[in-house]
Amino acid sequence: MSKRSILHMFDPMPNNSPFDINMALDAGFDVLMPYSNVKLEYINNLTQDVIFSRGPAGVKRTAIFIGGRDMGLAIDMLEACKPAMVPPFQVSVFADPSGSYTTAAALVACVEKSLKEVHGKALHDCKALVFGGTGPVGIATGVIASLQGADTYLVDHLSQDNANDVAKQYNRRFSSHLRGAVARNDEEKAALIADVDLIFCTAKAGIKVLNAAVLAQAKQLKVAGDVNAVPPAGIEGVGLKDFAVPLLHASQATKAVGVGALAIGNVKYKLQQKLLNSLLESETQKFIDFRDAFDWARILV
Amino acid sequence: MAKPFILHMLTTAKNLSPFDVNMALDAGWISAVPYINVEPSEVRGLVQDAIFSRSPKNLKRTAIFIGGRETKQAMDMLKTAKNAMVPPFEVSVFADPSGAFTTAAGMVAAVEKELLDKFQTTLEGKNVLALGGTGPVGQAAAVIAAQAGANVRIIGRQLDRAERIAELCNEEFGDGKIAVTAGADADKAEYMNTADVVFATGAAGIELLSAELIAAAPQLKVVADVNAVPPAGIAGVDSFDNGNPLAGSISGAVAIGALAIGNIKYQAQNRLLKRMLESEQPLYLHFEHAFEVAREFIKSTD
Repeated sequence: MSKRSILHMFDPMPNNSPFDINMALDAGFDVLMPYSNVKLEYINNLTQDVIFSRGPAGVKRTAIFIGGRDMGLAIDMLEACKPAMVPPFQVSVFADPSGSYTTAAALVACVEKSLKEVHGKALHDCKALVFGGTGPVGIATGVIASLQGADTYLVDHLSQDNANDVAKQYNRRFSSHLRGAVARNDEEKAALIADVDLIFCTAKAGIKVLNAAVLAQAKQLKVAGDVNAVPPAGIEGVGLKDFAVPLLHASQATKAVGVGALAIGNVKYKLQQKLLNSLLESETQKFIDFRDAFDWARILV
Repeated sequence: MAKPFILHMLTTAKNLSPFDVNMALDAGWISAVPYINVEPSEVRGLVQDAIFSRSPKNLKRTAIFIGGRETKQAMDMLKTAKNAMVPPFEVSVFADPSGAFTTAAGMVAAVEKELLDKFQTTLEGKNVLALGGTGPVGQAAAVIAAQAGANVRIIGRQLDRAERIAELCNEEFGDGKIAVTAGADADKAEYMNTADVVFATGAAGIELLSAELIAAAPQLKVVADVNAVPPAGIAGVDSFDNGNPLAGSISGAVAIGALAIGNIKYQAQNRLLKRMLESEQPLYLHFEHAFEVAREFIKSTD
């Protein structure tokens, strides 16, 4: 009888995310084992405990998931797993802290698709703003967009310094070209969006980041994507299921379109499911982060 | 394909109760996932993570259990969870901190059954003393009995604490529609003159009602003791008692012990966990629903 499949879920937070638990069980793992409060320095030992207890056939039915809220730490943990493997005792590892990698990958892929279909443009032709840009989804979104050549700004709602620091930190790590910006009120938001092509909204759920009056100041906006599914929408006028639907409030940018949270969520869901499945199906070992997630998201849309 | 049943089990304590985990899996939940040391402020985020990762159809196969130690905190967490739902993305939630809601429901339902069987009466208008009633089980039992029409008095060693708990029961749990009162342990003898029912829900190993007070009680009908560790909370009550005569009672009172209460508690918790599995609509379950299913179970055994 083949051994049951096990997903070891390492999480630096006090608890795993119920989102990841649902997704992992739905992807077909038989047993989920949560590990909370995991520190980077434990990863080596935990990984070796994972690989040495099931034999070379058993490790193919075993994988590691890395969660949390911190996108940089998740990458560090993913990297720390690699040297701990002892072939043929090795398992695949998938990092997706708070689902941020797959959410960001799905967001950028949906926006990219709308940009191409409606405007015939590519990400590298565009200037992009990421609202909620210093949170986990925002950073991953920014890095993906920047690596595709978009001139990308991470927008913090309180501090220019914080935005600059985060941009610098992740540029160093991923060779991206992010810049920082701040928008503390509607005036600052209006000034920022006046000349941008793309808006990614990844701010906290239930907060209206861009209202109709602010959107009216956008002069060359092409696509705006919002991942917030909890009313009110992060971008006023973007419906949850919108996929390249005209953005009426952007009255000066007549061809602008919006992508809503459920449209993005649908891609994100399929993507995370696909990547979790690949942990079970693959004969070869995989290390999956947001860059791999984006490659798959492009195929899915 | 239908997805596996997942119960997300939240507790403010350092660990889940293995009791609740066994109960959840035996009720048919396939995966019972622990979330420990949960702060009430984290409930909203956890709930929204749980609801947005499955389709509304499969959310019917997803639910949240709230454990912990405190009744008010658990009820607040239940409310927060309910408010965090974004229909049609919503799941059922069941609060049973320390098993207190189902234990209290089991006790009150067992008392009600004895009142009917032995005294052909109901809780309506009865004088109930909740001894050691300031803890989670005592609070829930007081509210359930008061909602069934009884005049409930919570007795504690410190009167001011008992008064605070009675107010909490009335305002928070009873929506201002019940009037639980408070009394000091020192005045117990006087209250026993008019008591029809006594609940003992104090800490294990402390005798709350002596043989002398039982012998002097003129209209005592039913006593219930949740304590399974000797000495009994009520003198002379055996944990196996299930409507057996209470030794020394001049009014023909009967006793209900911890194991009889535990059996109904088990059935009530099992039924509520199953209700969440089977329901087409999201359910928000607490002590009132526990009492409903405890009564249902008792009816089914008649």
